[in-house]
Amino acid sequence: MTALLEIEDLRVTFNTRYGEVTALDSVSMHVNEGETLGVVGESGCGKSITALSTMGLIPMPPGRIAGGAIRLNGEDLTKVSDSRMRSLRGGDIAMIFQEPMTSLNPVFTVGDQIAEAIMLHQKVSRDQALKDAIALLDRVGIPSPDKRALDYPHQLSGGMRQRVMIAMAVSCRPKVLIADEPTTALDVTVQAQIFDLLNEIQRDYGSAIILITHDMGAISEMADRVAVMYAGRVIEDATADQVLDSPQHPYARGLISCIPALGKGAQQDRLAEIPGVVPPLHMLGAGCSFKERCSLTNARCGSEKPQLINHGAHPVACHAAEEGRA
Amino acid sequence: MSLLLDVKDLTVRFALPKPSMFAPTPHLEAVRKVSFQLENGRALGIVGESGSGKTTTAMAAIRLTHASGGEVLFEGEDLLSLDDEAMRQRRRDVQLIFQDPYSSLNPRARVADIVREPMDLMDIGDMESRTKRVKELFELVGLRPDQLNLFPHQFSGGQRQRISIARALTTNPKLLVCDEPVSALDVAIQAQILNLLAKLKDELGLSYLFISHDLGVVRHLCDDVAVMYLGKIVEQAPREVLFDHPQHPYTQALLSAAPSLARRKSKGYVRAMKLSGDPPSPINPPKGCAFADRCPAAQDLCRSSQPVLEARAGAQVACHFPG
Repeated sequence: MTALLEIEDLRVTFNTRYGEVTALDSVSMHVNEGETLGVVGESGCGKSITALSTMGLIPMPPGRIAGGAIRLNGEDLTKVSDSRMRSLRGGDIAMIFQEPMTSLNPVFTVGDQIAEAIMLHQKVSRDQALKDAIALLDRVGIPSPDKRALDYPHQLSGGMRQRVMIAMAVSCRPKVLIADEPTTALDVTVQAQIFDLLNEIQRDYGSAIILITHDMGAISEMADRVAVMYAGRVIEDATADQVLDSPQHPYARGLISCIPALGKGAQQDRLAEIPGVVPPLHMLGAGCSFKERCSLTNARCGSEKPQLINHGAHPVACHAAEEGRA
Repeated sequence: MSLLLDVKDLTVRFALPKPSMFAPTPHLEAVRKVSFQLENGRALGIVGESGSGKTTTAMAAIRLTHASGGEVLFEGEDLLSLDDEAMRQRRRDVQLIFQDPYSSLNPRARVADIVREPMDLMDIGDMESRTKRVKELFELVGLRPDQLNLFPHQFSGGQRQRISIARALTTNPKLLVCDEPVSALDVAIQAQILNLLAKLKDELGLSYLFISHDLGVVRHLCDDVAVMYLGKIVEQAPREVLFDHPQHPYTQALLSAAPSLARRKSKGYVRAMKLSGDPPSPINPPKGCAFADRCPAAQDLCRSSQPVLEARAGAQVACHFPG
């Protein structure tokens, strides 16, 4: 079976004052129809750049897709024309952003904004598009949608705005829906509502979802498979159960154990912590990019870059895992 | 254990714009008769959704927001009735850590000066002892002495939060108010800061008033937890009691909404309790229980009469039908 969306050896670079910096270094991942892929990692690991590359939204220059392919149903998105990309974007492939206030236009009503997305991709009249917009608002659980469609974004709560974003994103029944930290700005109760809504949308439309998050708890609830990213590379790629139950990479293990537990009777004295921070991309040296923060580093980690290889359980980019030291 | 902070019937009211020139000024009650106690060396977590009044409660308790009513006894002395100079002296004992480590540090000041400033303002010690104290604090919060003369932008988010913590500790406070201190940080960095706060609490015997919307974080650090909803405490209990046997339906819903590694999609996890809608507006609060419209267990009584906090099974719960 070929995957619906397949990213293969993607390399994205940016021209900066430090010279050319590699933001994504041979990133590969795929997602099948009706499946949720979780992409997890700290800020600055390349999660959002992966999403923006897929949407064709990397500013070029300074950005450049230096190699690799992004295939949607076999069609390479890095090679298609701008007009073809425009019709795919918002049509077959749509995105929900992190901050619903800044990604909606403050001077148009939300009904108009959803209708605009519909009219761009389907041959319908404005009246019909507005009717569809109201139906979509109803679909994403906004009460009295005919009234709310006339509201401006500032009149809605954060959760409602994110629902509007979702309504807009699913207006053309996308095959792939990318959600870039869709709930970071929201309360837990609203986050739960948004997650439940995304699951419903997936059930109804059969969309593939790429959920970008730094929260392993969200991964546990939402994802079928997981790609763990660190400093512009995928360092572990497996099913959600494999990553959560037996993470192979020390970074993945750290991300899981540093979450304060919530379960019944759970109480740790001290949280496991990952020392230090993600290194700036222009300062990555030879070898593994995680070596400064890792407790299992040896000489090989300092000189040789680990490749994403299956050493038994599932693909992981770590010398320690390969040598059985992890 | 001695009582550090005893808050009684704290109320905060904000004026709203007048509907017309001669109309009376309408008010919004952001905090409605909130009472809680904090003992020396303990941490009280205040949780709730945005707009529930958790930050306003803490700010009013340390007189950074004007309280319209109630009492705040700090070591037996009512902070709300102190004159300005006495309150200024009291501020040595009460310090604050903010949510956003990017906007709460002066970008034009060197971090050593930022950390020293409270001592300058309070006139504590001479210049030499202040500089020495800054160095000690740097070491205590896990920063290096060679970083003393850098500017805030040269630090990462986690390091900046360490600077904020060092600044808060300069005056040897007894109470530290932490307003969402880790919610702007990445999970891995969050763990570093939480461990630091736990270490400081043990070593210095600090008390925390810890505001957060993240139940996992509160469970990790706090000894007691108060859950707020629309300006009121709806449930208050020691940590184990609250997390193992939540009684208020809102607490149960919050716990059910928080993501957890124990809930797996592969195991067919479906959320046990779903909350729909948003909290009601504090401008026109409902007559009965504020949570009634979203509560699965609500009955007629809940819509007509307001439940009060009552002791029940080791906790205090404000609910007509606690479960």
